[in-house]
Formats: sequence, C-alpha cells, structure tokens
Amino acid sequence: MTTPTSRAENAKLHVLDRFRRVTQTFPKTDEILGYKSQGKKVFGWLCTYAPEEIIHAAGALPIRIVGYSHETDLEDGTAYFYVNNCSFSRSCLQLGLRGEYEFLDGVVGGSTCDGARRLFDLWRNYIGTPFHHVLTVPRKYIERAHNLYHDQVRQFHRHLEEFLDIQITDEALRHSIEVYNESRRLLKALYDLRKLSAPPITGAETMEVLNASFRMPKELFNDYLRELMDGLSTSGNSYEGRARLMITGSHLTNPEFIKSIEDTGGLVVTDELCTSTRYWSDPVVLDGDQTPLQAISKRYLNNFPCARMFPSDERFERILNLARDFRVEGVISQIIKYCVPYAHDRPLLTEKLQAQGIPTLSLDVEHGTSGSGQIQTRVQAFLEMLESRQR
Amino acid sequence: MTSTERKVNKIDALLRACRLMLRMSKARPEPRKSEIMYYQMLADYYTRLLNAREAGDFVAAHTVFFPSEIMYAMDIVPMHLETTSWMTALFLGEYADLLSAGAELGLAPEICSPHRGLAGAFAIDALPRPNVILWSNMVCDNTAKSGELLMKLTGCPGFFLDHPFQNSEGEMNYLVEELADMVRFLEEQSGRKMDWDRLSQGVARMDRQIELLRQVGKLRQAVPSPFHPQGFLELLTIDYLFAGRPEATEYLETLRQELAEAVSQGKGAVPKERFRLMTLFLPPMYLIGFLERISQEYGAVSVTEPFFCSWGEGRLDPSKPLESVARKSYMLPEMRMYGPLDDRALSEIVDSAKQYKIDGAIYYADIGCRHTCATIKLFKDVLDELDIPVLTLDCDVVDPTIASEEEIRDKLERFFELLEDR
Repeated sequence: MTTPTSRAENAKLHVLDRFRRVTQTFPKTDEILGYKSQGKKVFGWLCTYAPEEIIHAAGALPIRIVGYSHETDLEDGTAYFYVNNCSFSRSCLQLGLRGEYEFLDGVVGGSTCDGARRLFDLWRNYIGTPFHHVLTVPRKYIERAHNLYHDQVRQFHRHLEEFLDIQITDEALRHSIEVYNESRRLLKALYDLRKLSAPPITGAETMEVLNASFRMPKELFNDYLRELMDGLSTSGNSYEGRARLMITGSHLTNPEFIKSIEDTGGLVVTDELCTSTRYWSDPVVLDGDQTPLQAISKRYLNNFPCARMFPSDERFERILNLARDFRVEGVISQIIKYCVPYAHDRPLLTEKLQAQGIPTLSLDVEHGTSGSGQIQTRVQAFLEMLESRQR
Repeated sequence: MTSTERKVNKIDALLRACRLMLRMSKARPEPRKSEIMYYQMLADYYTRLLNAREAGDFVAAHTVFFPSEIMYAMDIVPMHLETTSWMTALFLGEYADLLSAGAELGLAPEICSPHRGLAGAFAIDALPRPNVILWSNMVCDNTAKSGELLMKLTGCPGFFLDHPFQNSEGEMNYLVEELADMVRFLEEQSGRKMDWDRLSQGVARMDRQIELLRQVGKLRQAVPSPFHPQGFLELLTIDYLFAGRPEATEYLETLRQELAEAVSQGKGAVPKERFRLMTLFLPPMYLIGFLERISQEYGAVSVTEPFFCSWGEGRLDPSKPLESVARKSYMLPEMRMYGPLDDRALSEIVDSAKQYKIDGAIYYADIGCRHTCATIKLFKDVLDELDIPVLTLDCDVVDPTIASEEEIRDKLERFFELLEDR
C-alpha cells in the first residue's frame, strides 16, 4: 500500500474531515440547505462547459449535479434512461427522480456528449426544476467556434437575468471570476505538492477535496483549502508508492476507487478527469478590452478539453505534459461503460503514451465503483509490471 | 486494385449482392419499377466506388448525414460509411470479422457496432482506402469520434464538420462557414474546384426530392398503406447515398406514381393489413428479410417512422446553395433527435401516430445507440397517453449475437397477439 516515508503514521489533517462531511451528505449538505434557507437560489450544472461564474455573479449558488459516489442499484435511472447509457448519467437522473435535488432552482446543461444532452432532456421532462438552459458547445477551438460559444454564454446570461429578474453586472462577474480563479490557484498549488517525490497528500484525499469544490459555496471552499494548504506545509506528511500513477478517463467522484489503487501500493499523483484537473486547470484571464463574458466563454471552451473536442491531439498533448510534469510511470485509464467519447480515444491515447514509454492499464468500470475485487487484482498485476520495468 | 484486394473487399461482395437483388427484382411476377431502379442505383454506386482508383476518381469516405450533394457537385465519389456497414450486414449477413478486427484495435464493445466494424474493416483492408475522411457530430458521439481513428487507419487526411446543436441564426451561420471550410479542404485535397452551378442544380433537385418524400409520406397515410412493410429503408438510403442526384428524383417520382395508383385502387402492400405500425429507429439489418416476411404473414406494416421520414418545414433556395445545404440538415427528420428533445420531437410522435392511424409502435433498442435508447421511456409515455402500445426490441443494428431471429419472432408474435386482442 501507499506508505508514509518519514514517520510511522502521517499526521491526521482535521480539515480533511470537513471536506469529507460535505461529500458524505451531498446533495443535501448543510452548506447548500443553509444557503437555501437564506432565501437564495441554487442552480445545478451538468457538465464542465457550463460557466459557473455567471450563476455565482447572479447571487446564486452553482453546484455540480453528480450521481452516487458509491456503487448502488440504478433501478430508476435505468428505467428512464435505458441500460446502454453511462451509469453516471443514470445515477444523476436517479438522484433527481428520488428528490435528492429537489432544492434546485435551475439546471444548466451543455451539448457535450450524448449522455449529458439526454440527461438534460429527461431532467427537463421528468423532474420539476423551474429553470432549464442548455448551451450549444462547439467541438472546435477556432475563432468562429469561440464566437458561437460566446453568443451561447450571452444567451445563458440573459436567460438567467430574466428568470431571476435581476441584472448580472460586469462588476459582479469580475468578482466571481476572482473567487473562482482563487480556487483554481489553490488547487494548482495543491497539485504542485503532488509533484514531489513524496507528496504530503494521497490521491484519495485529493479527490475528497475536489468533490467538495463543486458542492459548496466557493468562498467557504477556498477558506477550507487555504487551511489545508497551511496544514500540509507544517504536517511533515509524505507518501510514496510502488509507482507514480495518473488516472484518465470518465467522470469519477468516488475516493474509494483511488484508495483501492493506493491500497495496492500505487501512488496516484495526478489525473485527467472532469472532476479534477479538467475542472480547475485553466483560469479565466481578463485582459485587454475583453468583457467578463468574453473572458469566461474563452476560458470554458479553451479549458483542458473533454474527449468530445476536436482535434483530440490537444487533449493528448496536455495528458503527456501532465505525465512529464508529475513523473508518471503508469496510467490507469478508467472508462465508464458506454462513455463513448473516451472509449473512442483510448486506442489512440494508449499508443501515444506507449511511445513515451508509459504503459496504460485499461479498466472498464461503472460509475461509483470502489475498485475492489478484480480491479484491485488487475492494478496489482499492473504495478508488478511497472516494477519489473524499473529493475 | 489488385486481385487480392478485390478478394477481401466488402465493396466487391456488396456489388455482387446488389446485382443479385436487381435480378431478383426483375424476376418478380409483378416487378416494381421503383425497386428495380433502387437496386440499379445501389449497383451503380458500388461499381463507381469499386472502380474509383482505376478510374482516377477521388473518393471521400463520410459519416451519416453528411451532405453528399457537395461531393457530387465536385465530382468526388462518396463512400457512405454507416450505410456501407449496414449493407454489409443486410446483404452479406457477415459482420463478425469486422467486429473482431475492431476489438483488436482496442475499441470497447459499447461503441456502436457499425463504427467498430468500420474501423475494423479499414484495419484489415476490407474496404478500399479513400482519399479523405469526412465526419461530423451529427448525430451522435460515435459519428463525432470515429473520424480520427479512421484517419490514422487509412493514412488519409480528414475534415471534421462541427454541426451546432441548436437552430439559431448564429448556429446556422456557423454551419454554413463550416461547410465552406469543408469545400476548401476538398478543393485542396482533390485538386478539383467546386462547381457552384452544379451544386445549385443539386439543391434544386434536393428541394424537389424533399417535396416528393413528403408526398410519399402522405400517400402512406392511406388505409391500407401502399408501401411495403420495411419500405422506409429505401427512402433512407436514397437520401443518404443519392441526395440531389437526378436518379433519386426519378426514383421518387416513380415510387410516388406507384403508390398513388395503389391508393386509388385501394391496394395495400400486404394481402390483408391488420396492424399499422410506427417504427422507431433502425431494425436489425441482418433480419430485414425476416421482418419483411413476418410483416407480410401478420399483415403488419410500418406506415410511419417519424425520425426517418417526417421532413421539417421549409424550402431550399438554389441561389444560395451552401446555405440551403445547411438548411436541409435542419430539415432532416433525424435532426429532431439531435437537438434538444423538446416539444417539437414529442409532438411529431403524437402527430404521426394520429395522422397515420397507428395501432402500435416498435422501438428498436439498438444496444450501441445511446442517444436513441434514452428516449424509450419518454416516447412510451407519450404514446401511452394515446393508448398506443409500444414493443421494445433489444437488438443491434448489425451484430446478430445480441438478438436472434427466434427471439425477435417470439416477441413480435406476442405483440401482434396483443394488438389483435385490442
């Protein structure tokens, strides 16, 4: 298992418990319900191409709609969605159908993948959330794609203003950009610590922090994260493993999955997931004559890309850079069954990583899996293979 | 092309199958002229593709719903990838070798089988190598994601056409610019210039073809329905492979005439029409012959396929050819499934059910088709309100290991019994 290097037991960081608590009671967390009880609005977003800053600038709380973070029956989700849609989408829908997101005032989606767009369709038809908006998200990065996306972001901005009967000012947007960029800066600093030979935090712990990041008011999250960074700098904690690993692929929120990998001795030092690096990696850059909405739309379309984007080389290049920066020795590609964009890319990405001397372990999983049983056996064999290469 | 390449080439086998179908059509006691034209067109399509290299033609392999009008206007030979995939299963009944080759590439079994098979086909040289690959996100993630791997497997350059999700003016303009870029790409790659007059002529014919398709649809509302039970597949193929071609107009004119005559004579496509059905999505291609037979046996006719045959409102303007090609893509019946699934898509189901007086609906739940299967519950609920039963058949469009003929027969027979009892 992942082992502390400098002392028998690494110090327990109590601030991590706060992040865990947010995760454990989600969606109905004290933070969200407390926000609602003040008469404020809460909006759920379905995909990282939905610009949170606009919701935040409207004085509302943006939270990410996710499914169960553990394995469970998806009876309702499957009945409404059918079995051949990814278990992430089915899981989200099931939580919605069962009233777990009943506090939401609105839902914002994007045309990102088949699962996401149908989740939006079914949500709109079967779950009585008052506000719905879906953005067309181009698949290219060229100038006209940016113009189109900017237009979409402006429409969303206008729609939200109409629904809330308020004006979302540029000043409010600038403030929200700063709050969200601060979050991104802090998360980057956290990830930089994981570049160390013996990082002070495990991959599983990092996932708990990330889960909280889109489930609570950002300002409060930033406070918690600052406290964590202070704690890490003085804790003297350090972890090593049999190999430094990166996780790529589909939506993942279950820290137990990463823990099971680390329990076999792998050390997860970075990732390419829409719940982590792809969520926080790029800041909104306000420069020149750009309006806040232009800066926001540019950031969201240019951000570390999802497998949906074209050309895929942009994503592959970023993954290879991560692998180099974090000195990754092996990649675990975890793809939820029926997550087609990532499944299509897998052969191409595997080949590119192989060309850099980085082996890939391909795991086909269901959303929420804890990674026990056969997965652990396969990770174990993968680690043995990586160790044999080191000898 | 060498004789060895011909031996493994699916196009060669498809061509032979089309010619056989053509001979069989001609040999029927009462040959249907439009059917003979249809198989002749298919045979010509695959002949041109097979001989393209020797003839010095430029071949563009493209995914479904790609505007082939543009390729025809540039004298480029189109190779419709998914249709070629389906035809392989339909006419040759063999697909396992292609799926196996796709699996060897590392493609997960959840990826839709026609696309896994296409990648496999190029990997083992079972399809001729095109000059370029063209693909778009219309209509699903599989089409959007298939192109880059095909480019790698074939060593061809490619162009990805980014089709916007919704239908605003800005999105229409975006699509027109995408199409203009694609034309420039094709000009650079092929060394041929776009013949805009020819494209305008193609658009004018397409406008006529859409009108004819609407008229054919109207004739199918008659009781009994004059078109054969699985006839809509012909209509699909005509648009997929021959959009804007003169022979497509001729085929549709002929078919309309045949159907009009049958309607005026009160003549149905089956001996005794008992069940009028709505077909939702694609039936398994390897079972089309069987589906045609059991439909005849039970008097069950697919009279409406809202997402394949109900064209949207509007006309095309030949003086604005590229804009018209973009506009056409928003008029496609399938487009209702691509954009947000709002009242427009749901009302089409209700309207079709009423106009075509359907007794039941068959939903082909293709295991590899996620965006359609996610609508099963939604569409069932809509049809439930009209008291119309829906049979959901789990299947795969090309892979016979998902559902056998026996299973499908059993379920269909029980469904027909249920309809009979009602």
